[in-house]
Amino acid sequence: MVQDKLLKIHNLHKSYGDLEIFKGLSLSMDRGDRLVIIGPSGGGKSTLLRIVMGLEEIVGGDVYLDGKPYIFRDGGKTRIERKLQARVGMVFQHYTLFPHLDILRNLTLAPIKTRGTSRAEAEEKAMALLTRFGLAAKARAYPSQLSGGQKQRVAIARALMLDPDLLLFDEVTSALDPELVAEVEAVMMELAAAGMPMMIVTHDMHFARNIASRVVFAAGGVVVEDGPPEQVLDAPQVARTREFVERVFARKK
Amino acid sequence: MMHFDPTLPLKYWDALLIGLWMSLRLTLICLVLGVALGFLTSQARRARFAPLRALAGLYVELFRGTPVLIQLFWIFYCLPLLLGFEPGNFASAVIALSLYAGAITSETFRASLKSIPREQYDTCRALGITGMSLALWVVAPQALLRAIPTLLSNAVALFKESALISAVGMADLMFIGSSISNRTGRPVEMLTAVAIIYFGVAFPLTRVVGRVEARILRRLAV
Amino acid sequence: MNYDLQFFYVWQNLDKLGQGLLISLELTVLANLIGLSLGFVIALMLRARTVALRAPASALVEVFRCTPVLIQVVWFFYCVPILFNLFVDPMVMGVLALGLNLAAFNAEGYRAAIQSVPREQYDACSALGLSGWTRVRHVILPHALRAALPVLMTNGITIFQQSALVALVAIPDLMYEGKMLATETYRPIETYTVVALIYFAISAPISLIVQRIEARFDRVQA
Repeated sequence: MVQDKLLKIHNLHKSYGDLEIFKGLSLSMDRGDRLVIIGPSGGGKSTLLRIVMGLEEIVGGDVYLDGKPYIFRDGGKTRIERKLQARVGMVFQHYTLFPHLDILRNLTLAPIKTRGTSRAEAEEKAMALLTRFGLAAKARAYPSQLSGGQKQRVAIARALMLDPDLLLFDEVTSALDPELVAEVEAVMMELAAAGMPMMIVTHDMHFARNIASRVVFAAGGVVVEDGPPEQVLDAPQVARTREFVERVFARKK
Repeated sequence: MMHFDPTLPLKYWDALLIGLWMSLRLTLICLVLGVALGFLTSQARRARFAPLRALAGLYVELFRGTPVLIQLFWIFYCLPLLLGFEPGNFASAVIALSLYAGAITSETFRASLKSIPREQYDTCRALGITGMSLALWVVAPQALLRAIPTLLSNAVALFKESALISAVGMADLMFIGSSISNRTGRPVEMLTAVAIIYFGVAFPLTRVVGRVEARILRRLAV
Repeated sequence: MNYDLQFFYVWQNLDKLGQGLLISLELTVLANLIGLSLGFVIALMLRARTVALRAPASALVEVFRCTPVLIQVVWFFYCVPILFNLFVDPMVMGVLALGLNLAAFNAEGYRAAIQSVPREQYDACSALGLSGWTRVRHVILPHALRAALPVLMTNGITIFQQSALVALVAIPDLMYEGKMLATETYRPIETYTVVALIYFAISAPISLIVQRIEARFDRVQA
């Protein structure tokens, strides 16, 4: 059964010092799933993404990627299988492009230096991605010359250069001006249509409903409810979820 | 009311120029050596090997916590005794001022390294960029870029401190200016001229610092 | 190395070094008094709306920041008496030169600190109806002084090290006594090392305190 799941998180425990963030959180993802995680602020949604990306230590539990052990505790330390980590990509809230490199170089740096891809091959692929996202004209520009929405789209392209099996999106539109949010969400919808598995943390509930194949409501360090967006967002079965969703959507009225 | 002759310094323009050339040459050489030393020192202060960290820290604190004059005197008068031979005036001056420059630039690099946002490291992890690639292609360029404005200020400071080599008899701008001042008995004209020349080099540089800083900040505002 | 260290000569003459140290400290304290007070006044002048106030303040700051301290000390020592017919104790000249230098650097420190008060504080004051002296005294000044403190302290201790330069115009400070002792006893290594350590022993604690204050300030900044 484990072999069928793309990602399986089992009984995850995570603490920051004395503060317990995850108290035995479990969830799994199929290929082609677009999982949106919602929940109260500070509930560790970003932390969950960071853990799946291999950026954080865990206190207990296991994470499997494609059925293989990916992140686990071993002899008092957190072990992260680097080969599997290389198959996960992440896009951050603050794009974090390399300011001293132009856009093209931003995209090609990782493949050239870490995958041994030839410069010609990397640049060809980078240009193809930039063209697909409508940013081909910006290839030689520097990040400081781009708008927030453009930078974020470049950040997504940069992650795609490494052909990830799973893409993580950490509040990627939260730092953008409202009119720039749409172009980024459009790119994500396009990726979704092309079948890219995604795990998304977002504040934008309407976008969540549009893109999600599944929604997970996490609170108090565990998964409270997990199901299709029509269920979790529109007709939540758990009271806690209902409270949260009503509050969020009431704010949006 | 004393009579001042503002054209007096002009009569000695060639000697003053030679002095200025010495000051500039020395500053430049010590700047290059100092920046290299400063960068290495800043790395040493982050080393995992504790004695190296301590040594680097001690070096920086000593050279920042004592007068440059005494550093100069020590290198000029004490080092030859320890080495058993005389390095010569120019070499001694280079050693002393480079060590000083190394100490102040190491602080500059320390600050610039610290100012690299943490997310840059996260992103590199996510992209699989680690180790040598991370240091060489992502961290070092950004650290250097951020350090440039302060390094320019360090250069101006070094140029000003270079005037001290006149105290150990080296023929820089200060020494030549003072000598002429003594010989002609006209300190007001000569010393003011010397001050103006130093100002003429240092002031434009400090203006440049401001502009360079603005430009770099714009580039980094990502 | 065929030089055997004999610190005995230094210990024997510690009282002379002590006298020199007193002079150095006296210079430093007096220079700081001038530097802290005059520096503040100059900072206010730099922010004044009338050019008649801004220009001379700016000129003074630039002149003292873009020329070597050595030339400033020497200029005060040799030129001021001639120019202003003022023949006073060399100490006074030393204090003036160092004091004005410190005032120039402190003015920059004050100015930056005042400017670091966030715009929102002024807005909040407007919203609460606070203005003029009340606003300055209860909102601006506390924030600005706290921000300026590390810089002012660092500058203050830098002037202590720069004070060593007055030895070159024969003011009997610590550096001067050290130089005398080193040449008299033919023991430069021991003497200069001890003198350097004395300077260091006084500078280091202050810079440690500055580091603590800076760390505390970073934490408190809400």
